[in-house]
Amino acid sequence: MSESIETVKETGMENIYECIYVDGTVRLCTKNLAKGFTVYGERTVNYNGVEYREWNAFRSKLAGAILKGLKENPVKKGSKVLYLGAASGTTPSHISDIVEDEGKVYGVEFSPRVVRELILVAQHRHNLFPILADARFPQSYSSLVEDAEVLYVDIAQPDQTDIAIYNARYFLKEGGHLLLAIKARSIDVTKDPTEVFKTEAEKLKNEGFDVQQVINLNPYDKDHAMVLARFK
Amino acid sequence: MRIYLAEHTIGSFAFDESGNLLDYVLNPKELGKVVDILINTEKGEPMPSTVELIQKLKPTEVVIESETESAKMQSLGIKVVSKPHHVGAKVLRSSLAEIAVKAKFAEDPKDIYSFLYQVTLEYTRRKLRKAAQKRDLLAIQAIRAIDDIDKTINLFSERLREWYSIHFPEADKLVEDHDQYAKIVSNIGYRDAVTVEALTEIGLNEQKAKKLADAAKKSIGADISDADINSIRDLANTILSLFRLRASLYDYLDSIMREVSPNVTELVGPTLGARLLSLAGSLEELSKMPASTIQVLGAEKALFRALKSGSRPPKHGIIFQYPAIHVSPRWQRGKIARALAAKLAIASRIDAYSGRFVGTQLVEQVNKRIEEIKTKYAQPPPKKQQPPREEGKKDRREHKKGKKGKRR
Ligand SMILES: C[S@@+](CC[C@H](N)C(=O)[O-])C[C@H]1O[C@@H](n2cnc3c(N)ncnc32)[C@H](O)[C@@H]1O
Repeated sequence: MSESIETVKETGMENIYECIYVDGTVRLCTKNLAKGFTVYGERTVNYNGVEYREWNAFRSKLAGAILKGLKENPVKKGSKVLYLGAASGTTPSHISDIVEDEGKVYGVEFSPRVVRELILVAQHRHNLFPILADARFPQSYSSLVEDAEVLYVDIAQPDQTDIAIYNARYFLKEGGHLLLAIKARSIDVTKDPTEVFKTEAEKLKNEGFDVQQVINLNPYDKDHAMVLARFK
Repeated sequence: MRIYLAEHTIGSFAFDESGNLLDYVLNPKELGKVVDILINTEKGEPMPSTVELIQKLKPTEVVIESETESAKMQSLGIKVVSKPHHVGAKVLRSSLAEIAVKAKFAEDPKDIYSFLYQVTLEYTRRKLRKAAQKRDLLAIQAIRAIDDIDKTINLFSERLREWYSIHFPEADKLVEDHDQYAKIVSNIGYRDAVTVEALTEIGLNEQKAKKLADAAKKSIGADISDADINSIRDLANTILSLFRLRASLYDYLDSIMREVSPNVTELVGPTLGARLLSLAGSLEELSKMPASTIQVLGAEKALFRALKSGSRPPKHGIIFQYPAIHVSPRWQRGKIARALAAKLAIASRIDAYSGRFVGTQLVEQVNKRIEEIKTKYAQPPPKKQQPPREEGKKDRREHKKGKKGKRR
């Protein structure tokens, strides 16, 4: 692979890079914390002795949001992240790369089938904690986690904004950030997606969040938006 | 007095209404016990550390987060109010590592996080185990696949060595490791390209690389064409991809074994653990076996032979692969095997029926017993007068030895 890579450049965001290939294509990537292991069949690149993993925006909404103009990424080196809807670990693995060993990613997921895959990812990442639990009941995992600078919510449930708010009260630090992926269709199929995004953002405002950005994820995810909000 | 009580993996902590820490009781820093405690709190059982803390402080009112626990706590005869994310809970969770170190639960933040990581994994696997159906059969297939791959790697590597030796015969003796050998053929190929730099890049040490590069220069092998080397290289690449497949299957096996049979896995590792399941047929079958059967599992042939002829039965079956058995002197092996088999019998029963994690204790007990055996039986036993053997039996033994000398 390394022959086709021209260079790896830093982006404005901490620990997020751009791989630039000889043929001109540019892809987001992160430094692989689990050298030699990939998570979802993503391509790896070796550059100056460092292994990078390509970060596919069609597979990960955070990458999509970054490419679609996220102004500030709250996920930084050393961040503690509570991740609801960790699934098989696609996005959590890149967040684990970004926060590095000083940071922690607490991944909550309630489907046993995908948690098994999440465990396989976590076996090589000691900063990723896979928790089989329902995000509707924060009490059931409150003894395993700690307060976080970032709450990342991607659970595709009709009441997910409420779940996000409820979890924020439990675990989000004052001034911490919420990244909420909204799937319009799972909230209201009849309404126009933009309408749905607006109502959900409104809910957050009423609950003490400062909504900083609503990013439409098209074409990476149709009818999806990523909301960045600050707590209190 | 009113206290704000917060529970966590590390223990139970009482705060006043401004969030000052009043007192605490730690949980035992033991994987199996802590996971038990956590699972119980979900069922509404307060942590033992919480009960102890309340008895110590004798508060008039306790504020807790969990509603499910309040019923049981009320029965302790105190007023209980449930209030999610109360001040004490927020303080505990926002400076968890700091508090854990101060309370001497952990030496440093690294220590607390590595414990929390292990607890989380075990907790999640334990919950998965409830939803587990026939997952032991998946583990059995995985270990059989790994064994098939090993056989294939050996077979292909023998072929590769013979083939590539036409061009570079000296390499066969100098590089014993199949993986390394295949890498040399795949990444370097032609003998002329075998240089010290190229070899160290693959991972050979300096000394070995020098020897090999030297041998390449003086090689008596035949010259071959691009088409020749490409075909040989294809075979080498297949071997390398088999090695990668093996590594990822091992990873998978490790995960599945820790889920279905955590105590057996902790005792003997995922590979040997899965082989035991494979020989028994399932976890349930293994759990029904007496220790004496587990001890000789995989040595059935030798056992039947012994039964038929009245000779001595085997001392160990597949568990011979357990390092402490095969590295020990001959006369200690049977004793270690018996001790290990006894613990394996306990471990497999717990795995099959309750799923609690007691692996750490079991490992400790086995290690202690091995130490005892090593000191008590440090010397070989005095040679006993051996009864004269019949010719036939001896022959069979010789025959078997000859077969084993094969290279792996
Ligand atoms: C769209 S997927 C998440 C993909 C993932 N965030 C990624 O980018 O790699 C949504 C996940 O949320 C999980 N989920 C839905 N409701 C949940 C709940 N109440 N608690 C925990 N997980 C939930 C689903 O099982 C599913 O795996």
